[in-house]
Parts: sequence; structure tokens; C-alpha cells
Amino acid sequence: MTTAALTHTPAEQALIEALQGATGWRAQLREATREQGLPTKRNELWKWSDLRRAANDVSAAGELVVDGLDAAFLRPDDGARLNLTLTAKPGASAADAEVTVPAGHAVTLVEHYRAEAGALGNWHLKITLETGARLDRVCIAADAPDGVFVSSAEIVLAPGAVLNQRTLDFGAKLSRIETHITHPGEGADVDLGGVYLLDAKHHADTTTVVHHTGPGGQTRQLVKGAAASHGHGVFQGKFIVDRAAQQTDARMTHRALMLDDRAEIDAKPELEIYADDVQCAHGNALGAIDETALFYMRQRGLPAPKARALLIESFLAEPLDGIADESLRETLKGELRNRLEALS
Amino acid sequence: MMLKIENLHCKVETADGEEKPILKGLSLEVPAGEVHAIMGPNGSGKSTLSYVLTGREGYDVTGGAIAFGGEDIGEMEPEERAAKGLYLSFQYPVEIPGVPTITFLKEALNAQRKARGETEVSAPEFMKLIREKAKQLGVSMDMLKRAVNVGFSGGEKKRMEILQALVLEPKFLILDETDSGLDIDALKTVSDGVNALRAPDRGMLVITHYQRLLDHITPDRVHVMANGRIVKSGGPELARELEAEGYDKYLGEAA
Repeated sequence: MTTAALTHTPAEQALIEALQGATGWRAQLREATREQGLPTKRNELWKWSDLRRAANDVSAAGELVVDGLDAAFLRPDDGARLNLTLTAKPGASAADAEVTVPAGHAVTLVEHYRAEAGALGNWHLKITLETGARLDRVCIAADAPDGVFVSSAEIVLAPGAVLNQRTLDFGAKLSRIETHITHPGEGADVDLGGVYLLDAKHHADTTTVVHHTGPGGQTRQLVKGAAASHGHGVFQGKFIVDRAAQQTDARMTHRALMLDDRAEIDAKPELEIYADDVQCAHGNALGAIDETALFYMRQRGLPAPKARALLIESFLAEPLDGIADESLRETLKGELRNRLEALS
Repeated sequence: MMLKIENLHCKVETADGEEKPILKGLSLEVPAGEVHAIMGPNGSGKSTLSYVLTGREGYDVTGGAIAFGGEDIGEMEPEERAAKGLYLSFQYPVEIPGVPTITFLKEALNAQRKARGETEVSAPEFMKLIREKAKQLGVSMDMLKRAVNVGFSGGEKKRMEILQALVLEPKFLILDETDSGLDIDALKTVSDGVNALRAPDRGMLVITHYQRLLDHITPDRVHVMANGRIVKSGGPELARELEAEGYDKYLGEAA
């Protein structure tokens, strides 16, 4: 491969150091960092989220504090709700865990991501859904304005399993929620919803890969976002449909609002299909606030900021409607509303 | 004088970035308690007038003045003018997906009240108010729970515009082509709603291309608009004359 020796940045050195003696996924992360460094925009999968650059203020090992997790390997009871808070302290850190939802069980998993200023936190979950299991996963990145947080998950479904995932990302110096799903078809069902709302200089990256390996799988994905001046939203969605995955029905939609000419939104929806009898579609649309609607609302007396907030909220909220737990759904919608009112 | 427009000039930026004068010295007075109609051919500047009066972005006053209740409103934001009591019934009411009509109207009413220094209306009080007004216009509560104008027919949208006016109780209404897209029954319902809003302390400006709305809402005065100005004013009989003879002779005068 490469012959030239890689000169590690302080952040890379710190991450390698933090992961001395680690095993499993963290050892893989250490070796990948040692061999290739942190991903940069030259890496196709990271072309709009330059992690090396975002971590340029990181120079020491840090700690990723995991709250709400009893063990690194979990088999939750039926009906269980896991509330995890992942807090990245300043410096480079990584943590991981494994969750198996047993056959026929339904589990709710809520993850809150926090990153303090000068933090580079890496969080990884390996999730297995056994036959007929259901997982409602909700990821909220709301508390990391000056840090870097990368969440990645590898989710494998068995036939008849149901995954309902919702992400809500208010961005960070760099925030990335990456999900890799293996979808066996055979009655399994994947529903992915995502919302991002980015104030000035916030960056959020929603990256998903759904790999359909067996026949008759259903996948729906709806990601909606809005970015203010100098906010940067990234959506990378990929559906892979193997030759064996006939009758797959997979639909991907990404829609985003540019709230200012200086906002940036990059989207790459991809379909990679090797089966011939499938229904797959993707849609991607970027737009601006409807000025006519804005005037209409102001003519009825709503002040401009309120009218804008209502319009953006009505645009963004749709993916959150898919959160099964009502109180959680209302909490997240309330959080979205608060952020909209504070938007610069 | 409730509404006094004096020698109003307005330029609008066209799609290709050029500025085009639309209103060229328009003067008009509407006293409280009166309904005035503005009639004119397409392109005479009628809709522009409704947007200039309500402060839409891109429709700036370049000369002259607009006084509402004796106060110069030419520089005010749209929401300030709304709180002062100016209401525009849109020619094409706007769809707002995701915002229920009830929520929207309650927010709008309370925003106006707040701007005027009045106490906000509570949820039960508001529900009582909107039920009563909806009944008056034959609008179902089910429709009010739906998102603003989404999936409504042309007639339903116009009916909703009048319902909103009944709830917000503005001092002055501008009705922009309220009759367009209405069948006979809807025209009657909407006209009844407008007539219910006639009051000694309220003024109205009815902008229309055709006379048929004026069969139901009898104006006190009729003004003919052509080429960005009022070129003739008269009584209700002027509307019938226009219907019979068309606008051609005024286009000649205005040129």
C-alpha cells in the first residue's frame, strides 16, 4: 500500500495513545488511525466531513463517559428502555458496546451525544436484532456546539425483525451519525428518519448504508434538514440490493432548506442494485423558505421570526412523527421548537 | 379618513432583475364604514396595490404616502400593519403544510393582540370564538384541524380567508379577487361573510376584475384603475357600465 510514512497529527497521536491495549472495535479504530490517520475529505466516505481538520484542536487523550450502560454486552428484557448519555471530555476518546435484542423482544434505545469543547469522541454500537425483534433507536446530538462527535453503528437484522431509527442532530464543530444496516428481507423492516437543524458554523453529517441481502425487504428513509448561515449539512445515503434480494422495496428521501445563501448542504443519495425485480427510489431536494408563505403569515400578524420558526418546524418535524413513544416524540419536537426560536 | 393613499408610486423588480414602475401616482380615500371597489383590466396594478398597502417585501413605496387612521404606514413591517388592523384576503391563499388552521389563527390573533398591548386570548375562549365564526360560514371544525389551505378547493380557500377575517376582526379589509374561482353558491356564502363584516368603524377595498361580486357586495364607490392610477371614480352604476362597455376607453385615457 502506501510506502511513505504517515506523520500523525496531535489528535491522531492522542487517539492512538488513548486506545493503547484496547480490543475489538476500539483496536480496529486505533490501527486504522495508525495506518491511515483520521479520515479527510480525500476519503470518499468523508468528503464533506473532514475529521482530521475538525479535530485540529485536540492534542491529548480524553475520555468518553458512558452513562446508563451496565455492561459492554447487553441483552435487554422485553419492553426495556435504555437511556444512554455519551459525554466526550476534552481530548481524543472512544468507547463501544454491543446490544442484542432477543427474538420477539421489543426494546427502546435512546442515545444522547455530548461533546465538550476540544473533544473528539468516537462511539460505536454493534446491534443484533434476532428473529422478530423490534428496536426503536433514537439518537440525539444536541449538546456539542464546540466538540467533535462521531457515532457509528453496525446493525444486523434477522428475518422478521423491525428497526425504527430516528436521529435528531443540532450539529457540532463536527457531528456525524453513521449507520450501517444489514437487512435480510424475509419480513424484516427498516424505517430510518433523520432531522438536522444547524445554526451558524454547525456541521452535521447523516450517513447511512442499508445492505439488502435477502428477498422481500422493506426500507423507508426520510431525512429532513435546515441550515442557517455557515451551517453545513451532509447527507450520504446508500441502498445496496444484492442479487438475492429480489422484491426489495426501498425508498430514500432527503429534503433540506437553505435558510441563508451562505448555508451549505451536500447530499449524495446512492442506489447500488444487483437484483432485477425491485422497487427502489431516491429523491433529493434542496430549497429555500417559501417567501410567499412567510408574507402570508406575517400579513396575519405573526412576527417574522415566529413565522419563520413555524414554517421551518412544519417542514422538519415529519420524520419525528415516526417516534413510537409519545412523550419522547413530544420532548424532541419541543427541543426542535426551542432551537428554532433561538436560531440566529 | 381611514385609508388615504396619496400620489403613490411603486416599482417592482421583475424576474430578470429590472425595476418596473407599476403604480404611477395613485390617489384614493376610503372612509370608515364604506366599501370601495377597484376595478381594472389585468396588468393595471391591482394586486400590486394590495401588496404595497400590506408591506410585502419587494413592493416598496418609491413616492407618495399611505396613511391608515392618520398614521403613515408606508415603512411598517407587514405584521405591524396587520396589528394596526389591515387585512388582505389573498387572491391565491397560501398553503402551509404541517400547521393546523386552528393553531395558525390562534397564534396570529394573539400575536396581533400582544402587539396592540391587549391580553392574549385563552385556549377555551379562542375555541368558543372560532366555533361561532365557523358556524356562521358553514366551515366544519374538521376543516379547521387540517393544515392551512392544504388540499382545500378554491372555494374553500376563499371561505377560509373570510373566516380568518371574522376571527381577527380587522379594521380594514382588502379583498383581492375574492370572487375568482368561486361557483355561485360559494360566491353567495363568501359575500354573506363579507357583508357580515360591514360595520360603521370598518372600511373595505374590493379589488375585482368582474362585476359579479359587486352584485352581492354593493360598494359605496367604484374606482377604475388603469396603468397604475385611478382614472375614474363613481357610484355603483359605474361597475355596471364597465361590465357592459369594457375597459378599452380607460386604457386609451391612461396611456
